[in-house]
Amino acid sequence: MKAIELIREFLHERLAADPAAVVPEAVLVDLGVDSLMMLELMFEFEDRFAIKLESDLKAPQTVGELATLMEALIAQQTASPDGAT
Amino acid sequence: MMRRVAITGLGLVSPYAPGEGLDDFFHRLCAGESAVRHLLTDDQPRPLNMPFVSCPDFDPDMALGKPLASMMDRFAQLGMAAAFSAWDDAGLSRQSGEENRDSWGCSWGTALGGTLAYEKGYRELWQKGRERLSPLAVVLGMNNAANAHISIQLGLGGVSMSHTVACASSAVAIGEAFRRVRSGEAQVMLTGGSDVPQAYGVARAWEALRVLAPGNAETSAQACRPFSSERRGLVLGEGGAALVLEEWEHAVARGARIYGEIAGYGTSCDHSHLVKPEAAGQVRALRAALADAGLTVADVDYVNAHGTATAEGDPVEIEALRQVFGTHAATLAVSASKSMHGHLLGAAGAIEAIVTVLALRQQIAPPTAHLDALDPACAGVEHLTQARARPLRAALSNSFAFGGSNAVLALRAAS
Repeated sequence: MKAIELIREFLHERLAADPAAVVPEAVLVDLGVDSLMMLELMFEFEDRFAIKLESDLKAPQTVGELATLMEALIAQQTASPDGAT
Repeated sequence: MMRRVAITGLGLVSPYAPGEGLDDFFHRLCAGESAVRHLLTDDQPRPLNMPFVSCPDFDPDMALGKPLASMMDRFAQLGMAAAFSAWDDAGLSRQSGEENRDSWGCSWGTALGGTLAYEKGYRELWQKGRERLSPLAVVLGMNNAANAHISIQLGLGGVSMSHTVACASSAVAIGEAFRRVRSGEAQVMLTGGSDVPQAYGVARAWEALRVLAPGNAETSAQACRPFSSERRGLVLGEGGAALVLEEWEHAVARGARIYGEIAGYGTSCDHSHLVKPEAAGQVRALRAALADAGLTVADVDYVNAHGTATAEGDPVEIEALRQVFGTHAATLAVSASKSMHGHLLGAAGAIEAIVTVLALRQQIAPPTAHLDALDPACAGVEHLTQARARPLRAALSNSFAFGGSNAVLALRAAS
């Protein structure tokens, strides 16, 4: 599953967000993603892709930034058999 | 200057039919209809199998909206739904408008807090072998989650506090809210309580105390029999109940409907035993509530008893009432609505305060259900086995908790 699809699914399931509104330029706060929900989303992401995010990760502001970050980490993890840490 | 405290809003998640509201709830109580059902879970290795009161039709996503509901454990969801209902019932806006809500607050009762969230975490860690938990685990489980959400959603800028005093939690929450309004510290207080005792570990713990009434699919509805010689214990239930307390003149000025008045609040501690109640401690709380309200025993026309249907508790409560009411005891109308809505633990005091104020409002006292055979040890007051319509000027609502903590609310009919 692509990162943006996971974001859409998560925001629909947790916040009843319209998937059509979850586009790269959408601002996460406007979709109802506060700091707690961002932590929960990261948790879900770690689970789904079996990676571990840095604890001091800079919080993305838009759906696009979040998706880019996720895909970079997935690629990094795929390249490194030990996984990203 | 002491202010009068009006009750201007009531809300609950009804164990009968969540969408039906207060009139339906009270009507069913007066008809002696039990909300107790048989609970049989799929927990392993041994399912929960007991009489229980639940709100099976309560849909948190519908009641609160998905984004809000997803940030709460069920106890906070039930509390928030009850709070919204009470707030709407009071005719107050959910959005803070031109009025200053800096002194408005929330005082909430919960005996257990977010036990379902904690239990889910334990299952993840110990059953499924997970190494970490959801980042929301803390904010879902914390005991003050309900009052925190309520204050946020209603824009309440004053005190926001939770009270954990076992079965007296929400009676204490209401009493402390009452004191703040009466003193002038707060103009409006949202108060009440909520709990969900069906977490597997919690229900098993209660079972181990040997105080739960047994029952199956056929017998559960009649399982809770306060004051009866056939009583076999209490029936747990989940629920949320809320009241809006408001400074009297403020309520009058905005044309609010006034259900009744909280006139006094008395507390005490038995200071003798964790689970064995003592009449002397309850007597102190009863007398303190009457004195606080400026009521004499002759002014009180109805008592909503704590009446859990335990072997130990019921006779002690009646003994306390006999001591306090003296020659008036024999004609004092007493009933235990727990016989129908069960024991909601941290929500018990709140749902029973609602029952009491509705009795004053409608001038009809609900009965104790299933009281066919009065235990002679519980005699000496006028037990209502049928609803009774008669003038009710003032009433008491008793909450006597494990730990020996006692709380009594004194209410007056609106006048």
